[in-house]
Amino acid sequence: MDSQEKQAAADCESNNDVLEIEDWANFRDDDIMRQHYDIRDQEAEKIPYVGDKEPLSALAAEYHSGSPILLEKIKVLSDQYGFIRRTRGDGNCFFRGFMFAYLEHLLVSQDRNEVDRIKGKVEHCKKTLQSLGYAEFTFEDFFSLFLEQLDSILQGGENSISETELVQRCRDQSVSDYVVMFFRFITSGEIKSRSEFFEPFILGLSSSTVDQFCKASVEPMGEESDHVHITALSDALGVPIRVVYLDRSSCDSGSVSVNHHDFIPASDQHTLDGGSVAINPKITLLYRPGHYDILYLK
Amino acid sequence: MQASRARLFKELKEVQREKSADPDIKLICDDSNIFKWTALIKGPTETPYEGGVFQLAFAVPEQYPLQPPQVRFLTKIFHPNVHFKTGEICLDILKNAWSPAWTLQSVCRAIIALMAHPEADSPLNCDSGNLLRSGDNRGFNSMARMYTRLAAMPKKS
Repeated sequence: MDSQEKQAAADCESNNDVLEIEDWANFRDDDIMRQHYDIRDQEAEKIPYVGDKEPLSALAAEYHSGSPILLEKIKVLSDQYGFIRRTRGDGNCFFRGFMFAYLEHLLVSQDRNEVDRIKGKVEHCKKTLQSLGYAEFTFEDFFSLFLEQLDSILQGGENSISETELVQRCRDQSVSDYVVMFFRFITSGEIKSRSEFFEPFILGLSSSTVDQFCKASVEPMGEESDHVHITALSDALGVPIRVVYLDRSSCDSGSVSVNHHDFIPASDQHTLDGGSVAINPKITLLYRPGHYDILYLK
Repeated sequence: MQASRARLFKELKEVQREKSADPDIKLICDDSNIFKWTALIKGPTETPYEGGVFQLAFAVPEQYPLQPPQVRFLTKIFHPNVHFKTGEICLDILKNAWSPAWTLQSVCRAIIALMAHPEADSPLNCDSGNLLRSGDNRGFNSMARMYTRLAAMPKKS
């Protein structure tokens, strides 16, 4: 390290307080990154990765003096839904919301068949990633952490956890971020392995190739999710997801209604076409432009 | 901390197993600290860096692989996306496009690719970027070549 550089490093350390930075010439990319992480940490103190379950009236309170359409819509929502659980707006909110809602559903239902089914899917996803050329050691830690969560969800085992513990785990970065990253791997693998299906959607979103999209918008933490991500994750794991849209759009015909879209796994759609089994998603997320939270039926 | 250490040991094992797989890259882990690595990479052919061997320093954070390693050139290099004094590298995967799917080895490959394909429009070394942007390839090549000879090639006696 030459002396000038030492000086630069010293400057950065003494100038942690942003306002005190005088020498912008020495403000480097690393400092910008550190600033990003600092901001993220400060935000983190305001809302945990996964919040507490709150009555839907808490949502209405946000729009107290806001758009009347939104208040109308929240009223319509409250006919069906009783509670909301917020997630942190750090770009991972869709995956984080899905993680908690899915694990909580398993914890409550104790559905062993579903746990076995999902394990089979996870095994399949592992093979997909391998065949796409991913080195196993880059993703195996994320996979095994998710499988560990599944095992501790089922009661009666040594490591069984309660609802409170599930909340704690999903708030603990070392678990929560690893599970989010697990979903990112799964999503990326699904998109790449069915690239001809996803290509037109991706072109519409970002005019990049499928590989570029996965590299830039799926695999990095903090990259926000779109319908492409949701479709891919739902397909890969075979888990239906309902997304309820809360925005200011309205129709002129008088009564206010709230739109929702069900993401039904591709494998289940064939059954739908052939038979008449209605699929009821167990996981409902509330979408407000740019953010996903978890919704609970009454 | 434990997770990052375990991951780095796996990378170390992989590097040792695949020693001959990538003859352009030699990754070495510090004897006493798994979070400190250095790499020797060969300048890509048909570039002014050809024939040079460049040393990189890796500092791996405790949050690895959720956060990227910090990498810089220890060997002086004249390149638009490398800071001439500090060796800092401007590369998306070392910043916001990082993901755990990358490894120290594949980061080295990405840096070699960056050496062969400079991004003159986002320069850390403006002199170098300006030469390329103004179309003075000859000027750029001779400067880059000179520093490769001075800093990245064995001294001939």
